Amino acid sequence: MEKLTIEKIYEIAEKIGEMIERGEPPLLEYPPASTSNIEFSEHEGYKFAPKYWSKILGSHIKSVKTLAGVIFALERCLDHMKSGLTMTKRDFYYLHKVEKFKGTLFPSDQRETDTRIVLLELITGLSREMLSITSDPRGEVYGDITLVDKSGNTIKLNKVGEMGYAVPPNPEHIKFKEINVKAVLAVEKVGPAKNMIELKIPDEYNIAIAMLHGQPSRSMRRFLRMISDKGVPIAVLVDLSPWSIRIASTVIYNSIHSAHIPGLATPTAKFIGIHSSDVEEGGFFEKVSKVALEPLTEEDLKCAKDNLSIPSLMGKTWIRENKWFLEKKKKAELEIFKAMIRKSSELKDLYIRYLNMKFEEHLNLSLKE
Amino acid sequence: MPRREEYVEISPSDFFYRNKDIAGFDNPVRATYMIVRELVENALDACDRAGRAGNIYVAFRGKGSGVFQVEVLDDGIGVPEDEIPKAFGKVLYSSKYVLRQSRGTFGLGGTMALLYGQITTHEPFEVCSSIGDGYAARYRLRIDIQNNKPIVERKQRIKVPPGATFTLVKLTFEGNYERAKGKILEYLKQTAIITPYINIVFRDPKGAIYVFPRATTKLPEEPKESKYHPYGVDVEVLKRLISETKTRNLVSFLSKSFQSMGRQTAIKVLKKARLDPEKNPRKLTDRELVKLVRALRSYDKFRAPDASCLSPVGEEALEKGIVKELRPEFVKVVQRPPSAYEGHPFIVEVGVAYGGGVPATGDIVLYRFANRIPLLYDAASDVAYKVIRKIDWSTYYVDPARTPMAVFVHICSTKIPFKTVGKEFIADKPEIAREIELGIRECARALRSYILKKIAKQRIVERYKIMRKYYEIISESLSEILGRRIDPTPVLKRIAKPAGEEVSENGEADNRENL
Repeated sequence: MEKLTIEKIYEIAEKIGEMIERGEPPLLEYPPASTSNIEFSEHEGYKFAPKYWSKILGSHIKSVKTLAGVIFALERCLDHMKSGLTMTKRDFYYLHKVEKFKGTLFPSDQRETDTRIVLLELITGLSREMLSITSDPRGEVYGDITLVDKSGNTIKLNKVGEMGYAVPPNPEHIKFKEINVKAVLAVEKVGPAKNMIELKIPDEYNIAIAMLHGQPSRSMRRFLRMISDKGVPIAVLVDLSPWSIRIASTVIYNSIHSAHIPGLATPTAKFIGIHSSDVEEGGFFEKVSKVALEPLTEEDLKCAKDNLSIPSLMGKTWIRENKWFLEKKKKAELEIFKAMIRKSSELKDLYIRYLNMKFEEHLNLSLKE
Repeated sequence: MPRREEYVEISPSDFFYRNKDIAGFDNPVRATYMIVRELVENALDACDRAGRAGNIYVAFRGKGSGVFQVEVLDDGIGVPEDEIPKAFGKVLYSSKYVLRQSRGTFGLGGTMALLYGQITTHEPFEVCSSIGDGYAARYRLRIDIQNNKPIVERKQRIKVPPGATFTLVKLTFEGNYERAKGKILEYLKQTAIITPYINIVFRDPKGAIYVFPRATTKLPEEPKESKYHPYGVDVEVLKRLISETKTRNLVSFLSKSFQSMGRQTAIKVLKKARLDPEKNPRKLTDRELVKLVRALRSYDKFRAPDASCLSPVGEEALEKGIVKELRPEFVKVVQRPPSAYEGHPFIVEVGVAYGGGVPATGDIVLYRFANRIPLLYDAASDVAYKVIRKIDWSTYYVDPARTPMAVFVHICSTKIPFKTVGKEFIADKPEIAREIELGIRECARALRSYILKKIAKQRIVERYKIMRKYYEIISESLSEILGRRIDPTPVLKRIAKPAGEEVSENGEADNRENL
């Protein structure tokens, strides 16, 4: 994996260096992450399919800064990799905050260097994690899964504390040793996921719980895909809100923003709830839905409107859900389970009933077996 | 018992003695400056008449307690021996009473200077001159103020090399050199600008020498004497023309005495004035004279006045004058075609200088000249000042508050419309203001394209500097990755276009403004 990255960096450096020595203005071509270079399909999610290329030409005053930024970044990435170090986006930003870059590469704010990271990915065709720039390592997984991590340690994901295993920034190095779960349940919010672990649902019913912490990180998405590739069904449980259908669709289809990074979509994952039908008449939450729903805020409503133009939300289910938001102007959160119970002893049963119903419906899988 | 006032007639010199301020001799500082100015102007006229690139030497010597001796020497045409006493010792005696451009008009200033010296120190003055006949006449003179007559105290004939022509005037006066110094030097500098073909050397009372070397030996063309244009006459001029004419009837008088006037036109004008074409002009009554002037002025088919009587400096010479005295970064001089106001022909010459040695004052420095004389006082009341204020300089990419910039305006005319007796500023005649504005705008457009080219050049230089910085970063990082030095020189050579190549992009800006 690292070899590939190093080779790629040498290749670019060699090409640019030769052009400079020949007295030829150096040229870098790359496919920009524009919508016309991105395709979407239900069974693959977002996919990068470059049709046209952008040029960074060293004879243009505006391009030369970009070119210098890219070459400098590649050099620093290589240096970090050789030292076995990773850097965060913030680290990367600080690499440029040096005296000698005053008037050249000195960034006005982090957005400037963040943009360059995306450019690096597009130019090299590698993810920033492969270039040793790590993403925010957000997300944990709890369950009966055994893996060997980068350092060679064997880890059981239900024996690493009550929060489970923190997914590393670059899960690429992970090797799965034993998977004893029949499904992974990816939950948007930590609260309900934590309750499920506390109620020993994963242990008793042989499932893993993944905590997404809102919009899932790239590393979490990559990890889910890797498990999915081992044949494990993935279920996604999120709030009933315009934002949350985006979260669910990102797990399933990847996002436009990171479309150029392969392996982040899990097209076989299923969006199991909360669905609008769950709070409608005859639904699971029917008895509390009159009082426990929240009204949509201005931002929520705008989000729902924007959803209408997102390619990954064009499927039947998504359109139906989004339409419900626009019509009812309401949302439900995963905490709604708490509105259903009188005593905490009722919660476990409630979860099991709901999950069993959903697993049967979407994964064709019985939780109780 | 009825009392009777006594009435006395005073002579012209007496009049000017009593009204010194009219000619600018109202205080010691101003008088010191005026003496230099008047004597230098006479010297310049003498050089012009000689038709060659002349030399002028001015020297001050302090005599103690505010008394100075000033000497002005020129190698101009010289004054004939027998004319010297009257030319220098009699007010209103001059060779200048003809209609052509000259510096003074009445031969007043030079004599005023001598008169001022006499009344402040009671010393005689000396004039020594030769017209090239191998002899020079040397006079010691006084002015008999009451009778406006020269008094010759001593006269000598000196042998000089044949062909040498010169005039030397030596005068003692009470003044204030220290405070007049600034104005005198400024006057000489501006004179050097407007007469770039004259060498001027100035010695101050302390012995310091200031040299204003000539930048060209080419003289402007001598102005020709010309006839009056009908629009430019009044009853007095008409009377004088009649007194000089040899013609015996009005038709001949008009067609011989005026420009742009043939027999046919003369008949039409006379018909308009209801005067008999055959009448002897000397027999016109005062009423008829007035009628004739009105008819001349209201006839609307005359050609514009003939400008051959004018002698502008010329674009090339004025440019040389500006360059030698100011060393600007950019200069453009424009001579406008002849025009006329109220029957008086005039030509406007305009220059714009930018950067370099142009004094940085935070505003446009205005240099005004009338008939090749610098005007140093009352700039803010002058027509040229008003024109400059009217122009939006940002159109020409200049900010007068930040860039040193000078505007030169030279007006030559048979009659400069001075607004005061002091002759320091010119009235805003619309015809003159228009010519000044057109001239300035033409220069300013040239300046704008110069500045745009400069900006474009600077951009290329800046661009290259930035490029070099980035290629240093690229080179350093590439060398680090590849483990061998990547020298950015070849590509930088290729990228650094020769300065000036991209200028044409902006060059079109010249045509943006239509006047």
